[in-house]
Amino acid sequence: MRNIAPQEGLVERAYWLIRLRWIAVAGVVLTVLFVEKVVNVPLESFALYAIAVAIGLYNSAFFSYLNRIRKTNPPNPATIVNRVANVQISSDLLSLTALIHFSGGVENPFIFYFIFHVIIASILLTRRASYFQATFAVFLFISMVNLEYFNVLRHYSLKGFIDSSLYANSIYVSGISLVFISTLYLAVYMASSISVKLRQREKSLEEANLLLEEKDRIKSNYVLRVSHDIKEHLSTIQGCLDPVLQELTGELNSGQKDLIRRAVHRTGKLTFFVKALLEITRIKLSREIEMSRFSLRKTIDNTVNFVEAKAKDKDIAFNYNLDPGVDVIKGAQVYIEETIANLLANSVKYTPRGGKVDMEIRDRGDSVLIQVSDTGIGIPKVDIPNIFGEFYRAGNARALERDGTGLGLAIAKEVVERHNGKIWVESVEGKGSIFSILLPK
Amino acid sequence: MANILIIDDDPDIVEAMKIVLESKDHRVSIAKNGEEGLKKAKLDKPDLIILDVMMETMGKGFEVAKELRKSQGHKDSPILMLTAIKESTGLDFKTEAGDKDWLPVDEYLEKPLKPQELILKVEALLEKR
Repeated sequence: MRNIAPQEGLVERAYWLIRLRWIAVAGVVLTVLFVEKVVNVPLESFALYAIAVAIGLYNSAFFSYLNRIRKTNPPNPATIVNRVANVQISSDLLSLTALIHFSGGVENPFIFYFIFHVIIASILLTRRASYFQATFAVFLFISMVNLEYFNVLRHYSLKGFIDSSLYANSIYVSGISLVFISTLYLAVYMASSISVKLRQREKSLEEANLLLEEKDRIKSNYVLRVSHDIKEHLSTIQGCLDPVLQELTGELNSGQKDLIRRAVHRTGKLTFFVKALLEITRIKLSREIEMSRFSLRKTIDNTVNFVEAKAKDKDIAFNYNLDPGVDVIKGAQVYIEETIANLLANSVKYTPRGGKVDMEIRDRGDSVLIQVSDTGIGIPKVDIPNIFGEFYRAGNARALERDGTGLGLAIAKEVVERHNGKIWVESVEGKGSIFSILLPK
Repeated sequence: MANILIIDDDPDIVEAMKIVLESKDHRVSIAKNGEEGLKKAKLDKPDLIILDVMMETMGKGFEVAKELRKSQGHKDSPILMLTAIKESTGLDFKTEAGDKDWLPVDEYLEKPLKPQELILKVEALLEKR
């Protein structure tokens, strides 16, 4: 069996272990209180509380150490965190042994809590390290039991719970020890078998994912080349048709004019589509898009100018409201402007004559919330989950407007996500839609 | 009426431009590549040069523009550069001297060309001269 060390998830799991330990500290304190006050069994509460405090102290130390590791970003965090996890689990085993020693030793039913620790070890650590931790637990347990048995260490009995001296009963002690040891090793065997398999699966999924990404990149490159070629031809076709339509080559009869106009129109549509396809492909292929600080306020003005005339043509009331605090943000200005213009254009396109389109830009501290709402045709419920997908168009949108690339929202999503932002939509069919973009400043 | 040199390797779009410009009584000469363009610029002393940025290899037009500016004689002939640059390269170039990406051209026109836009830009450049 290979020794696969858990990688990325390790830091998270180490934090999880720290959270669990805070619960354990509280658990110790509460259990001591409960046993003493309610069950009326006297305990060495001072020693037990002291151990709880010690656990709390080393937990804080581990916590700040992990934080420091995460901040300084050492070259091989996995090895360090792995080591820390080993030390943590060993410390826990020691603390548990001490707690049990001061509260009845082998007579204390909490001895079974060792199982939790070896299971945690099997989840966090390599298989070999888990067996090592289990062996350490066995060593601690056997030492404690024997030292108490031979009266080297004092035995603290649980008066009122177990009144006969089981700790000095050799048959009881050896029986419990046998069951204890076999339970621990079986627990490690089972838990680590499962977690090793899970890690292997995790790893192969990761590899499959990388392969898919690579394939997607190859496809995108192909699309980029093809659409670029198509676009060049298209722009030449358009460049040749325009002078003819404008009769620079001589007068046209009405039939010729009509057909050329149709050809120009369709070429324009195709050009628009190919441009959108090029754009989304280019964004997808670029590892990073160039960001700079720019005035969102001015960008909003540009988009407003762009949409106002369109809204007026359709007799749509367009209003916008910009929080005074909103101005400079970090991002790719051209893309952000295009994305906002795109949402506004969509709203106008899918809002019937006489409707309303509103834009709100709100300051949200370290981010900006941009919301475009309309009283348009809305999006059917079934289409909402796919509305940001490439080439996807909602059924009612297709019925209303035959033309549309189905790429506008996909580009918007790509742009917003490249800015570590979020884009979403709330919509009721027949009532209208609200598109929201949350952009970090 | 002016002498206009078009440097572009796409014969179809060149023909379309020629027709548009000739409709405004301009005289048009054509160069199919950068070298020919530089030669013709020297010979014909055009009043205006229209240059395709994507000629031959991407960005070749940039080099040609720089060459044109360097050589004597037509240092001040305005250059109108045809681009599809925004969509195809993502390059964002500026026209102010001193910028890293500064290009010695006077005006840009994005493809696909609209005849009116071409005429307007050409006329504006000729007037400025």
